[in-house]
Amino acid sequence: MTNLMDILNEIVFTLTDPNIWIRLALASILLVILVIFSLWQNTKLEKKIVWSFFRGLIQIMLLGSILLLIFGIDELWLLYIILLFMCFFAAYTNWRSYPYPKIFRYNFIAIVMSVMIIMTFALLSRLIPNFDGIIYQPTESEGASLGSFVIPVGSMVIFFAMRESGVALERLKSDLLKSKGEIEAALALGATPNRAIRILLRDSFRASLVPTINRVAVLGIVTIPGLMSGMIIGGASPIEAAIYQIVVFMMLLTAAFFTSIVTNYLFTKQFFTSEDQINLEFYNIISKKKKTKKK
Amino acid sequence: MVISNKQMNTELFQIVDVEFQLGETNILNGINVMINLNGITGIIGPSGAGKSTFLRLLNKLISPIKGNIYYKSQDTKKMSSQQIRKEIGLVQQRPYLFNGTVKDNLLYGPKLWNIEYSDEELVQLLQKVALEREFLEKQVEGLSGGEQQRVSLARSLANKPSVLLLDEPTSSLDINSEEIIEGLLKQLNQEGIKIVIVTHSLEQTERLTDSLLFFRQGKLIEKILTEKFFSKYDSNEIRLFFKER
Repeated sequence: MTNLMDILNEIVFTLTDPNIWIRLALASILLVILVIFSLWQNTKLEKKIVWSFFRGLIQIMLLGSILLLIFGIDELWLLYIILLFMCFFAAYTNWRSYPYPKIFRYNFIAIVMSVMIIMTFALLSRLIPNFDGIIYQPTESEGASLGSFVIPVGSMVIFFAMRESGVALERLKSDLLKSKGEIEAALALGATPNRAIRILLRDSFRASLVPTINRVAVLGIVTIPGLMSGMIIGGASPIEAAIYQIVVFMMLLTAAFFTSIVTNYLFTKQFFTSEDQINLEFYNIISKKKKTKKK
Repeated sequence: MVISNKQMNTELFQIVDVEFQLGETNILNGINVMINLNGITGIIGPSGAGKSTFLRLLNKLISPIKGNIYYKSQDTKKMSSQQIRKEIGLVQQRPYLFNGTVKDNLLYGPKLWNIEYSDEELVQLLQKVALEREFLEKQVEGLSGGEQQRVSLARSLANKPSVLLLDEPTSSLDINSEEIIEGLLKQLNQEGIKIVIVTHSLEQTERLTDSLLFFRQGKLIEKILTEKFFSKYDSNEIRLFFKER
């Protein structure tokens, strides 16, 4: 962290730049209009609006400063530790939404595995930070530190892995509960547990992946995704931004699929006993959770 | 309980000191019985007596908390669950067919066991359960309850089991379908398939079964020939057995 002082200097420099305050002041005109609307329509939200904006401003500036700090990191091991922490919180968040036995552990293992594999692949193959190409061409991002690529892309990968594996898990769980009779019928015919729930696993993966695949299919026609918009606003060439977006989408989908597979296979291990029977205690636990959620 | 070798060899099932529990609830207690399965064996008793649980123990869809179950003198704990389930088929109260055609359903088990079936053999299987040839390619969603239950029966038969367990297979069917299935079970039994059926119907017990296992409150009260059962208890008592909860 030799450049800590540089980063602090940069924060001070940015904050003392009159231009950002002028920009903020101009944006405040919109805030005033918002308050006028609120008074006019008698929503009684004026105080809340003003308070929220100032609070949000301070919070997000603090976050920006922290990001500046993190983005300045060039040591790969340190970045991986930060990613590991993010995986931990992602799995924790999923566990809060889907509080089934051992899900925190299983989802954490799954997210860490897929994020580490994907990020390492991306870094080794130089998909990110910048693909030098077979014919070397210096790019604009040349001077930036590793952190400013690994952390934003890593966070997207983790977020996707978390969200999609959550969707797949919930789908699988409700299908397992719904199809107990069919599963038992398959077992009774001599099917192994994996065979008996093969279709349910397939459906769970489809449920989580299809919306994202559809998003990829309408890229450029219906949506300009966040990453691409951000890069364009930040001054990158739209073509470069578009390629980057597709590369990142591939990374996201792969990570999400892999995380869902690992999480769901580990989850279903609990659904059966070692004698290939439905584990009735586990069945009761996950079906109870469903009921309390409904309340 | 000690079982002599001689007995071990003649009985199809030996149930020794079997107990089954679900959570805190005792479902079956101290079950000791040998079943030879001559003719059709009925499992009767009031609701909650543990009849279905007992049936599921026989093909290892559940395992006892205590005690042992022997099938053809082999401890089922040491046998592969899949092998037992192939030999001992189960037809549940509801048909639980898989999405797809009737043919998909019939071939599910044979595909697991690499049993080859030609379309003609499948048609014969359907005819056994009184369904015509056209049913083979039909989607299962369109079938009536009785037809679905017959497909479910044919699906179990496709595995060529030596024992067939049935858990109230006709409880949600009309009289016509019930008759067809009962006739079929009698015929299958004559062809050498051993049959155990859980039933809550007094009339079905009388019509169909040759011997009975009578359960009450998680205990096996009696193993008795159907004929003797009906002469031992008077009709009011019997009605109570079937009704009480």
